[in-house]
Amino acid sequence: MQKWLPVMLLAWVAVISTPQQAFAGQDDAWLILEKASQAARELSYQGVFVYQSGNNAKSVQITHTNYGQGEYARMVVLDGAPREVLSQGTDVMIFSPKNEKVVIQKRRGQNMFPALLPSSMEAIKVSYQVRMGGQERVGGRDGQVVYLDPKDHLRYGYAFWADREYGILLKCVTNNEHNDMLEQIAFSQLTMMSNQNLDWFKPSLDHNKAYVMEQPSPSIPPAQIEDWLIGSLPLGYRKVDQLMLTVAGKPVPVTQLIYSDGLASVSLFIEPLMHGVAPRMGHTTMGATNFYAAVNEGHQITVVGEVPAATVAQFANAVSFKK
Amino acid sequence: MKEQISAWMDGEISIENAQHLLTSVKSGGQSAECWSTYHLIGDAMRGNAQYKPDLTQRIMQQIDLEPTVLAPQAKKSPIKNQTYWSVAASVAAVMFVGWMVLQQQSDSSNVLAPIEIAQNLPAEYLVAHQSSAPSGQAFYIQPAAYSVTSTQGGK
Repeated sequence: MQKWLPVMLLAWVAVISTPQQAFAGQDDAWLILEKASQAARELSYQGVFVYQSGNNAKSVQITHTNYGQGEYARMVVLDGAPREVLSQGTDVMIFSPKNEKVVIQKRRGQNMFPALLPSSMEAIKVSYQVRMGGQERVGGRDGQVVYLDPKDHLRYGYAFWADREYGILLKCVTNNEHNDMLEQIAFSQLTMMSNQNLDWFKPSLDHNKAYVMEQPSPSIPPAQIEDWLIGSLPLGYRKVDQLMLTVAGKPVPVTQLIYSDGLASVSLFIEPLMHGVAPRMGHTTMGATNFYAAVNEGHQITVVGEVPAATVAQFANAVSFKK
Repeated sequence: MKEQISAWMDGEISIENAQHLLTSVKSGGQSAECWSTYHLIGDAMRGNAQYKPDLTQRIMQQIDLEPTVLAPQAKKSPIKNQTYWSVAASVAAVMFVGWMVLQQQSDSSNVLAPIEIAQNLPAEYLVAHQSSAPSGQAFYIQPAAYSVTSTQGGK
């Protein structure tokens, strides 16, 4: 027995280390995604990426720097209307030409490509499984492919290409359950920057146009207290925000509830039905976005999200009203 | 001139060397417009409160304080031409017939018939979703209004 012990120990080690290795592979893949999220925020780079959804494609020029004093970024849409985005930290300003004017809109920061992934993977780990892919070149750079496969049919799958040298995301593809591409965003060119000046951090001006700030919509008091309840929602989605939305031509504000699973987001809109306004019903799809509308207890429910059709329907059905 | 105004505002040209710019901005016209546009953008980027709605309110208050010019206005002559009336009458007749048809189609229980969401995409909700969702950039790359028209055009 004594002399067999080391052999048994060895065998035991061999048995337990096999699944461990598979887990180690997953840990590596999660690490690549975590690094991609950090790199997009911490590195200084410039390049051009192309956004593709359905038949529409647009290229965007991006300049991003972070020399320890926070993030500065400028994005210029190169095709069609020359929209421009300047962001500093979490403040985002969008310059959109509209006829003879340029409208300036202020927004809070979003997770935008290449900083598409959130800084923490914990929420994503609940709903997605990670899978390491091969190596592929994107925009002249070597990339490592990492897949996020949904654990259920309530969200889409994603494929990410991370730069093998700098870690930053080079490409992201959204696939539906049949593995058809719904949306793609990819660098066609990317270079790192070491120049520390911020001369580029200003919008290009059109002197023939008037610059106007977007007027915040006048806030109207809610007609009634919250009379709705949210029942059981699709797994993995949690509420991230609740807003009162003023919609042109509507006398009462619309409640907007925003949910996210860490990657995909869904907006749920609730409003009382108006006399003389035809309610919307049914379902439709546009690119990766699904729409669902229903009428419930004299209320119009509208759901919009970059999620499968079944998910928007489940969100709409989770709403009930206090009697 | 515009580059110089910009450089002057950034403090790259000293006030001693900027007398001609000052004169030009004071004299109004394009230079003055350029000056205020640069300031609006600068303020907005720095997050200054200058452009906030109270500015509009202050301007409106100022306008209210201005004296109103009371001058008699020439009376508009009523439409005499007979053809206008006949055109108006036929338009009204067509509208009435159209209304009757619509009424018959939809008036079943005094509630408007629901419309399919595919026929009437809620563009304003898509914009609200895109601009507040925690991730995504479709809001500025692919404005909803554009996508909606292109989908309808494709049908």
